[in-house]
Amino acid sequence: MPSLNFRCFPATALAALTLAAALVGCSKPADAPVAAAPSGAPAARVASALGNLSVFRAIAADVSALVDKNDLAGAKTRIKDLELAWDSAEAGLKPRAADDWHVVDKAIDRALKAVRADAPTQTDCKAALDDLLKTFDRMQGKA
Amino acid sequence: MNRLPAISSDDWLVKVPQITLAFWIVKILCTTVGETGADYLAVDAGLGQGFTGALMGALLLLALVVQLRSSRYTPWKYWLTVVLVSVVGTQITDLMTDGLGISLYASTPAFAVLLALIFAVWWRVERTLSIHDIKTRRRELFYWAAILCTFAMGTAAGDLATEALHLGFTRGAIAFGGLIALTWLAFRLGGHAVLTFWIAYILTRPFGAALGDLLTQAKTYGGLGMGVMWTSALFLTVIVLLVGMEQYTLSNERRLAAGTH
Repeated sequence: MPSLNFRCFPATALAALTLAAALVGCSKPADAPVAAAPSGAPAARVASALGNLSVFRAIAADVSALVDKNDLAGAKTRIKDLELAWDSAEAGLKPRAADDWHVVDKAIDRALKAVRADAPTQTDCKAALDDLLKTFDRMQGKA
Repeated sequence: MNRLPAISSDDWLVKVPQITLAFWIVKILCTTVGETGADYLAVDAGLGQGFTGALMGALLLLALVVQLRSSRYTPWKYWLTVVLVSVVGTQITDLMTDGLGISLYASTPAFAVLLALIFAVWWRVERTLSIHDIKTRRRELFYWAAILCTFAMGTAAGDLATEALHLGFTRGAIAFGGLIALTWLAFRLGGHAVLTFWIAYILTRPFGAALGDLLTQAKTYGGLGMGVMWTSALFLTVIVLLVGMEQYTLSNERRLAAGTH
């Protein structure tokens, strides 16, 4: 009697093994406890549970410097790195402090919108980036 | 006690696959690949959320037409449709949450109500919700509507767990994996087969997302740091392997059966 189900046990087993091997092969470093990285800032203000955001702040600072030089095309290129880095870290960062994450996310959105406007102006871009940098600093307990 | 469904010659007409371990593996991996793929097009390739959404919606319609017009179950057509339903279901929730600002606390129960409505109408019209009897165009449309809704609801429920319970992907994978195991246990102990199937179908959405995150996320965040590319490549390989084997076996069986008639 022909059956229409996935009866290929070798294939199923192979697939399961491939996955298992990949998991085992990579699982060792993950066993090390990875606590939320300290922000390194003197705890004058309470830092967000999001942890260390310096990687993202550094890119935003680059963009800000380009905007100050009125290199808006350069800023547009560089801010994509921020978008990609922020987007790919979402699953890791968001559960730590979802509300804070949304605050930063919205600030990044505003910066992206200003820099990517059809006719971007230095004033708009500067305002959005200043706001974004301040948001980062606030999250690190620095402002 | 429930056993895996027996196969009858009737199943030649069924347009959807049997529910086996391989079915669930492919379904879970499709979830991840679908989401990652859409995200790649929208952000990395810079097509934007709006354009990607429209593109995926159009592709889904195309795949659905191919799947609906197919006279019998063909693995690659079925699973291509599932991947695209997965993408579009996710995008519907994302659009509602990010674009329209609808709270996950509202959208999650709303999707549950919508899903219940789909099942209610399906039951009223067909007097069965059996996933082993998808033999008519109308039943197949109910089936795909329910599947789209489970993906949207699974996305919302998973995001809600992240926001409300601070459930990261590691604990998320454990929590949703545990719920899936409980559902399987309930099924084996004689729980309603159709009900447990759909519960598992919803739960595998956030489970697949958590599993994908666990592999892709950097070690700093507690992930395995495999990156999106390698994870997608691995998952795609497994999907192509399993669906390819299924397609191959099925074609052989059909050829043999045709020869003996």
